[in-house]
Amino acid sequence: MRLRLSTGPHLHATETTRSLMQDVLIALLPAAVAGIYLFGERAAVLLAVSVASAVLAEAAWQRLAGQPLQVRDLSAAVTGLLLGLNLPSSAPWWLAVVGSVFAIVVVKQLFGGIGHNFLNPALAARAVLLTSWPARMTTFFLPERLVEIGGASAAQFGDAVTSATPLAKGGTAIMDLLLGNVPGSIGEVCKVAILLGFAYLLVRGTIGFHIPVLFVGTVALMTWLLGGDPLVAVLSGGVLFGAVFMATDYTTNPMLARGQCVFAVGCGVIVTLIRQYGGYPEGVTYAILLMNVLTPLLDKWMKRRVYGEVKQHA
Amino acid sequence: MKKHTFAGGIHPLHGQHEGKAATRGKPVREFVSDSVCIPMDMHLGAPSKPLVRKGDHVKIGQVIGEAVGPRGIPVHASVSGLVTEVGLKQQLLSNASMCVTIQNDFADEWVECKGFGNVETAPADKIVPAILAAGICGMGGACFPTHAKLSPPSGKRIQTILLNGAECETFLTSDHRLMLETPGRVVDGLRAAMRALGVGRGVIAIEDNKPDAIDAMQRACRGREGVEVAVLKTKYPQGGEKQLIQAVTGREVPSGGLPMDVGVVVLNVGTAAAIADAVVDGKPLISRITTVTGAVREPSNLLLRIGTLFADAVSGCGGYDGEPGKIFAGGSMTGVCAPDDSVSMTKATNGIVVLTEKQARSQTQLPCIRCGRCVDACPAGLMPYRLMHLCVSGDLDQAVKENVKDCILCGSCSYICPAKRWLAASFKNAKEQLARRS
Repeated sequence: MRLRLSTGPHLHATETTRSLMQDVLIALLPAAVAGIYLFGERAAVLLAVSVASAVLAEAAWQRLAGQPLQVRDLSAAVTGLLLGLNLPSSAPWWLAVVGSVFAIVVVKQLFGGIGHNFLNPALAARAVLLTSWPARMTTFFLPERLVEIGGASAAQFGDAVTSATPLAKGGTAIMDLLLGNVPGSIGEVCKVAILLGFAYLLVRGTIGFHIPVLFVGTVALMTWLLGGDPLVAVLSGGVLFGAVFMATDYTTNPMLARGQCVFAVGCGVIVTLIRQYGGYPEGVTYAILLMNVLTPLLDKWMKRRVYGEVKQHA
Repeated sequence: MKKHTFAGGIHPLHGQHEGKAATRGKPVREFVSDSVCIPMDMHLGAPSKPLVRKGDHVKIGQVIGEAVGPRGIPVHASVSGLVTEVGLKQQLLSNASMCVTIQNDFADEWVECKGFGNVETAPADKIVPAILAAGICGMGGACFPTHAKLSPPSGKRIQTILLNGAECETFLTSDHRLMLETPGRVVDGLRAAMRALGVGRGVIAIEDNKPDAIDAMQRACRGREGVEVAVLKTKYPQGGEKQLIQAVTGREVPSGGLPMDVGVVVLNVGTAAAIADAVVDGKPLISRITTVTGAVREPSNLLLRIGTLFADAVSGCGGYDGEPGKIFAGGSMTGVCAPDDSVSMTKATNGIVVLTEKQARSQTQLPCIRCGRCVDACPAGLMPYRLMHLCVSGDLDQAVKENVKDCILCGSCSYICPAKRWLAASFKNAKEQLARRS
């Protein structure tokens, strides 16, 4: 009889890094499908290229650095898909490759690999693409196909191609915003699909509701206080996608729930400030990245009360 | 009804009835083996001194190990028969234990036992000596000598005795069956402890996944002075001493302190039943209920004589179901691994769990992804992901500043970690290093 010896616990939760990443991929599926439906083949190619190049970049890096191959944990696939969904369908395929490789090699691996990056890799890559190729990153095609359900009508846009972001245009019908009958990045336009993914993540317990809800709630409240339409603000641009899939990245938000709340509110405030007063029409990317940078400080400042800690009397 | 609980915690093996489904409906069945090997160091304190030699004939209940020191307790023969060996043997502890092996003659000859007949009329000052004489130590796993627990230093006032019937550990159903089948003994033991300490309030705390036990205990409490049942939410580690106190009394044991610092003494329900036997009948602790489950043919709740070998207990359950890969005493969260199945169950062995080779395989440790699950799970309010970093890198001074000593080693962080990191193991290691330091 050969018995194993170890300290407890002897059995573990079934959740693994891989299963969590798999859940995120599944949650992103509705947004990806909606994006492909709306923007056609181009979107499918872009998503495939960004996922493949992210996975290959990670595998190549780990091989060259002599590290154990860990692409099986699916985290590179998640990064690739997130980046792809953040590209406009007009983007050339090489933009996806550049973004994915930058996300994996520079943002993730150079800082120590999974769990050690201080910025959300997909978002940091998007920011780099946005500043390097601003025109390519903000040329949004109108959806090739429009979803027509109930009151939703084909959105009335003049051109097939618009260089302005959706936020720059006012007066879009709420239903069109919800269904994705608007120009925008592949994954961010169909809010219904994003909410579906959010619901899946909540049911699976992959993420808590507080970061997305506080993020979106803050944007709504701030916009309302500043005299805007809170519903349009929440349903336009990348707020919902960022709140559900980007701000909830485990590695780059605080560890304590209290810290996560501050993080989410901070994201919402910065988004609204950039939208209202900044030079960019959209600010979700920079808002989350800025709060990513603050995360180590939030972790340091927020102290937990330990069980049985004796109160200090002055 | 108000359900009590604590902050943090997890739900281990949640979809699998905490591993208890196989045995919780099974009545306790006595199993007596051909021989027993009784260690002299089953309690926390100086090991007892063997009083018998090879070739001696012993009766059940005869003292075979003499108490040594203030926290020492006597050890009794759990079967009658011939002493075949007195010597060192590898048991569950890291060092070999002095053990007395007795060949059972199945004559079931008892030494003469004289109790007080009734816990309510027994002289209060004679209760603690009776507990000491019966060789009782904490039967929930900690093995702390019960007489010492019931002798607080003067100046500490105890207001409440808490009986721990939470049984939050996975797989175990021994306390469940005990409360269900002999609730009167549990209440008797509680009353005896209350009278010994002059305490007016006794609370039996049970998780809400044992409604039949809650019902049985409530009925047994009827008409008894100062005793009540508290219902706990099913959550691990609800039966952790500090968590139990927080759940029931709302008070926290100060860091580095003891339950008595908040006026509480916590006893396991099994310990209470043993106290009842000692006070009512004068019987020493020679047997206990042990859940034998996992990869065995017929998972059972067995009444085993102290010192029964794991192999014998398993054979009492129809043998192994397949090749065993791991055997541990206790539940899967904090159970102690056996090097092989020739080790003995002790006064604290509430369960013997067998895992298959496949279940026993350890998973590869991956990098922390900062998901925060360990932080949410920690019932002590620690930051396990950070602490592990400090412990593994050897910065024990900083780990102490970040309260590693307050870790109760419940294993919740390791259980929940998706990267399968050895969090609790690193804290155990650090705590052992710190203990050696001082």
